[in-house]
Amino acid sequence: MSPWLIQSRFIPVFVLWNDPAHVVSCIRTVKTTTWFDEHLTEDNQEYMRKSMAQEYRRQTVDKLNPLKDEPWQRHDWTQGSRRVGLVAVKLGMAPVWTKAGERHVVTMLQVQDCHVIRHLSKEEYNGHTAVLVVGGKNVSPFHRSEEQMEMFRNAGVPPKHKVTTFKVSDNAVIKPGTPLYAAHFRPGQYVDVTAKSIGKGFQGVMKRYGFKGQPATHGQTKTHRRPGASGPGGDPAKVFKGKKMPGMMGNIFVTAYGLKIWRVNTKYNVLYVNGSVPGHRNCVLKIRDTVLPTRSSTLLSPPFPTYFTEEEGDLDEDLYDDNLFIHTDPSLTLT
Amino acid sequence: MAACAKGLDKCMFSLRLLRSPRLQNERFLSTSLGRLAPKEPSKFTPPPKPVVIDKTQTVAAQRKFLSPEFIPPRQRTDPFKFVIERKDMIRRRKVLDIPEFYAGSILAVTMADPNASGKINRFVGICIQRGGKGLGATFVLRNIIDNQGVEICYELYSPRIQKIDVLKLERRLDDNLMYLRDALTEYSTVDPDMNPVPFSLTEEVPVNKMKVRMRPKPWSKRWERPKYNVQGIRFDLALTPEKMEHAQKWAQPWREYDMLKEYDTAQLEEQILSEVQQAMSK
Repeated sequence: MSPWLIQSRFIPVFVLWNDPAHVVSCIRTVKTTTWFDEHLTEDNQEYMRKSMAQEYRRQTVDKLNPLKDEPWQRHDWTQGSRRVGLVAVKLGMAPVWTKAGERHVVTMLQVQDCHVIRHLSKEEYNGHTAVLVVGGKNVSPFHRSEEQMEMFRNAGVPPKHKVTTFKVSDNAVIKPGTPLYAAHFRPGQYVDVTAKSIGKGFQGVMKRYGFKGQPATHGQTKTHRRPGASGPGGDPAKVFKGKKMPGMMGNIFVTAYGLKIWRVNTKYNVLYVNGSVPGHRNCVLKIRDTVLPTRSSTLLSPPFPTYFTEEEGDLDEDLYDDNLFIHTDPSLTLT
Repeated sequence: MAACAKGLDKCMFSLRLLRSPRLQNERFLSTSLGRLAPKEPSKFTPPPKPVVIDKTQTVAAQRKFLSPEFIPPRQRTDPFKFVIERKDMIRRRKVLDIPEFYAGSILAVTMADPNASGKINRFVGICIQRGGKGLGATFVLRNIIDNQGVEICYELYSPRIQKIDVLKLERRLDDNLMYLRDALTEYSTVDPDMNPVPFSLTEEVPVNKMKVRMRPKPWSKRWERPKYNVQGIRFDLALTPEKMEHAQKWAQPWREYDMLKEYDTAQLEEQILSEVQQAMSK
């Protein structure tokens, strides 16, 4: 009944014969692939979807009930310690004004269902730093592999759209299953945002690297957007590696460094981050504290290792940077 | 809708019968009109709808006007982003009163300016364009000062704006009056000390059907072309009928039938209007 896909694989078998030709044998394997609702009735499919959604809502809502699960040991911040980052979704952009009347643009990033999934100690990972695996934005379990689902099940967390690793110092480890909120970052802090840039496909050299091309007229035969020369002449007599040529553009991970956080909305978990950020609208990004040495945020004392609602539950709904103009204030009078 | 219209004209017919002199002379003591007018079967006439005058709401709030920057564009953005932006817009509107105005209205804007004397800057002009959505919504005011045309683009939600006054509230035949740049200067001059024209909020906004005379060509844009859809220019004085016909070559008559370009905002507008009115009244 289930469609058995008969897969044929060509496995070259080299046999020490005097025969110069290759001998290739064909091994047939049988593969059963089916998706979750192929053999279910319609109301069963609906029931599966609803029950999954309910279970994940329950899992996301309160994790780490202090009565049931003991959180791990909390350490204090020391010079040189690194804390976790977050996984967020890019909503869009909006203008923002300072108290001096200057206008800046801001990207809104919403932290949706961000949980810590695993902790790998430095021996397990690479021998130098410990690592926390963090996931964000719940997604349906029906299209995740069994190995991934096992990882999510061990953390007690619904399956996530994006799973990333953050290198973390040993005193900033968090128990898997802890939710992470936008209040982890505070206004006035600087962050780095990494995301996959918008894919442009196969592009020519003018769009990809900003080459000038050739003139449109004055006798140019069929040459208007070509790269032109590819290097020096007879001495190297080759084209150097890494020569800029046409190829696939975009759809690579790009990091924007040193972005200031203007405002944090703790009710909806939205971060207002200065400037633009790589990626399209509704894409999932990775946010962490800056690596730039002149913009480190030690003075602001952000929550270490992260923001816990049980302890600091009484933050205002909106946290603003000192220089930011809040819309409920009266209009500016510049003096 | 059709059913009650049918019942309405039937009851009107029976009322007309009552007014005829033959029946008026007889006294009606009973309500059984069916006996006295045997041709008309007695139809249930619903009582007239009571007119509700809501004195709790201000007259300004009863005006069903939604500023165009509240309507989100047709994009793949999460509607939640527009919800947050709208909250900020409402917060700003509670501090600064942004009145209702259209392209063609005359406004006076006072803004804080670090380079002006007294740090305050007042500009009066005719609004030629309203653009942008959300917090970045803008409007352009045009005036002619000392024989020099001046256009200033203001952001509605900028904190530097202290006051926006509508000196004359009216509409024109178009939403975009950029053609005033190529029109005679008398149409763009606005007296900076003009007194505000009183306008009662219960009336509809008047449409000024004036058609503007243009300077000789060349213009900054070919306003006769159908893509600009300009109604407010006197083309008969500016161009010959042959040129008008030649401009129709750039017409795209299939665009009005293009279903993919349709964007029906009626439901969205109602929902957003009720949300905004509720939030403003709090």
